[in-house]
Amino acid sequence: MSEAVHFDHVSKRYRIGRPPLSLKNLLGGLRRRPETQERAQERAQQRYHWALRDVDFSLQPGQSLGIIGPNGAGKTTILKLLSKVTYPTSGRVAVNGRYSSLIELGAGFHPDLTGRENVYLNGIILGMRRAEIARRFDDIVQFAGIGQYLDTPVKRYSSGMYARLGFAVAAHVDPEVLIVDEVLAVGDMAFRRKCYDRMAQMIKNGTTLVLVTHDFSAVQRVTPRCLVMYRGQIAFDGPAPDATAEYSNILRKAAQARSDVPENGALSQMVMTHAAVIEGVKLLREDGTPAFTFVAGETVRVRMQLRFHEAAPAPIFACSLRQPDGQIVYDYTTGWAGVATPTFEPDSVAEVEFALTLNLVSGAYQLGVDLAYADLSCYYDRMVRAVDFVVVGRDGARGVADLQARFGVVHTAPAEPAPPGASLRADARAENLSVEISK
Amino acid sequence: MPTLVFRALYDYRDLLFAWTGRIVRARYQQSILGGLWAIVQPAATVAIFTVLFTRFLRVDTGGTPYILFSYAAMVPWTLFSASITDMVESLVTNMNLVTRIYFPRDILVIAALLARLVDFAIAFSILIVLLALYQAAVNLPGLLLLPALLAIQLALALGIGLIGAAINVFYRDVKHLVALGLQIWLYATPIIYPATLVPEHLRGVYFLNPMAGVIQGYRAVLLGGDLHAPYLAVSVVAAALVLGFGFWFFKRMEHQFADVV
Repeated sequence: MSEAVHFDHVSKRYRIGRPPLSLKNLLGGLRRRPETQERAQERAQQRYHWALRDVDFSLQPGQSLGIIGPNGAGKTTILKLLSKVTYPTSGRVAVNGRYSSLIELGAGFHPDLTGRENVYLNGIILGMRRAEIARRFDDIVQFAGIGQYLDTPVKRYSSGMYARLGFAVAAHVDPEVLIVDEVLAVGDMAFRRKCYDRMAQMIKNGTTLVLVTHDFSAVQRVTPRCLVMYRGQIAFDGPAPDATAEYSNILRKAAQARSDVPENGALSQMVMTHAAVIEGVKLLREDGTPAFTFVAGETVRVRMQLRFHEAAPAPIFACSLRQPDGQIVYDYTTGWAGVATPTFEPDSVAEVEFALTLNLVSGAYQLGVDLAYADLSCYYDRMVRAVDFVVVGRDGARGVADLQARFGVVHTAPAEPAPPGASLRADARAENLSVEISK
Repeated sequence: MPTLVFRALYDYRDLLFAWTGRIVRARYQQSILGGLWAIVQPAATVAIFTVLFTRFLRVDTGGTPYILFSYAAMVPWTLFSASITDMVESLVTNMNLVTRIYFPRDILVIAALLARLVDFAIAFSILIVLLALYQAAVNLPGLLLLPALLAIQLALALGIGLIGAAINVFYRDVKHLVALGLQIWLYATPIIYPATLVPEHLRGVYFLNPMAGVIQGYRAVLLGGDLHAPYLAVSVVAAALVLGFGFWFFKRMEHQFADVV
């Protein structure tokens, strides 16, 4: 068997809720009494949830695989099966070679122990020998950049330092198969890049990588092949760029499934009068065709269908854009725009539109729309997550906003000796500064 | 299966010792008394019973000062009882690890047991001081038996700990049940009173309690007296059975732990 990772028609079922207390249940794994087919099926439907169904893929040594998909699609279950934390209900999982799983950064860290003590502890938990850690200790500390805090209890670390130390240990395990969950989301930009660079380097050295993430640009850079998971099944298996497009399809399906369910929570019910309702939200390209995938820089027309049960004098329209982690990218209202909205008659329908320029980097986004009273006292209706869509970057731009940097060389000339004024200017700045401080 | 269990333990010995160290260090971190707490617990209990049994209710300890009589039993009992309590909780308190990273789960249970051995060593050193102070009739060749006695009680505790820890993952009632059980067990064992208080015709039943034989063993070695080999044999058999069943049970349940949410 030459494969590094093999999922052979793997399914995984979880029990929902707590099993009734009985010794038979406790020892249920020992002997299972034969059950009638119907009864078994009936019970299965009531109390079990299929986290994975018939997932089948394999990886050659040195190959890398990205896994994307909405929450609850089974991504984490795949990672848990890979790292042998849990076992398949049917099918077979094979991981050949030493593996390390980064499902939680700093696993086993104890807040009261020092950074040094925790490096050893964490390294051993991840499968390193004590001597191995000692050999790589300096590299780990250097990678994490926490040198001077090495003998401080980690409870005094910032969350960034904590994450850096956690990743640094895991990155030095030197496994044949590395399994990474979206834990990297915690670090700052520079550290994330360092992590991805490290992963890329490990792949180059022959490590097999499985990466679960929401970060499309990471998938595109680190893993050429990508799985899209949806409801426990593989919805797509292929090149990463196509996978991101396929993901938008999935999100559309998910949005449809969700619209059957009333919008979440008592809170939103409380503040909504439903004197007017948002009946639908569509995303259109500039030419009017509906779409869920857009190229960075493209203009999207957000079309809302509204129904007014009562008169709505000069309501405020708002739209907001979020990233999957909840970070607000953009929030805007007709109030801020100074747009005067008309009064809508009772028992009428209307269509209104926002045109947004998607100066965004590649990724998944969630669009929300609100319809509020003119005095903002409450909402007629709001949809926090009306539509999900995907932006495909034109290049490798990362971050949140696509600021469309234009590059130009303004001037070149042979270097001259530094004019005496240069240092003077710096002095002057320093003086200004000190003056300001003394004021 | 036993070879598999030991093989896995050997492969993961670094983790076992590192995790034991983590528990010990974390236990006394940011505490003023630190390791002294290992003495406070049994000493306080002994102090209470010393007042009770020397001022109000006199018991016949066969000439041994009561404080020595009960402390010599309380030290091993504290190891037994505290380690079981810790072991039962060991999986549940580390669920974040259990659900995310693979390693033989019994490591967590065994580490909880080993960590209590450190406390035992500290409390035992005080016992040595007391023995010297009161010039107790220590059975010197009998001291060779001490490791065996310790092994018996550790095996018994580990067996109970493995079973308790596994069930506790599913039903937290176990924790309370175990606490209650240990409380009763303390009084069912000749720790604060001599076994001679037990009516002769009931002793056969009384010594079916495997800890009774062990505690009598400690006393016989440290304070002088008869070892009562048949009683100790009961302890050995019980400990072996419980430990064997504990491992078997634990290994059967192990694969389900991570799926319990």
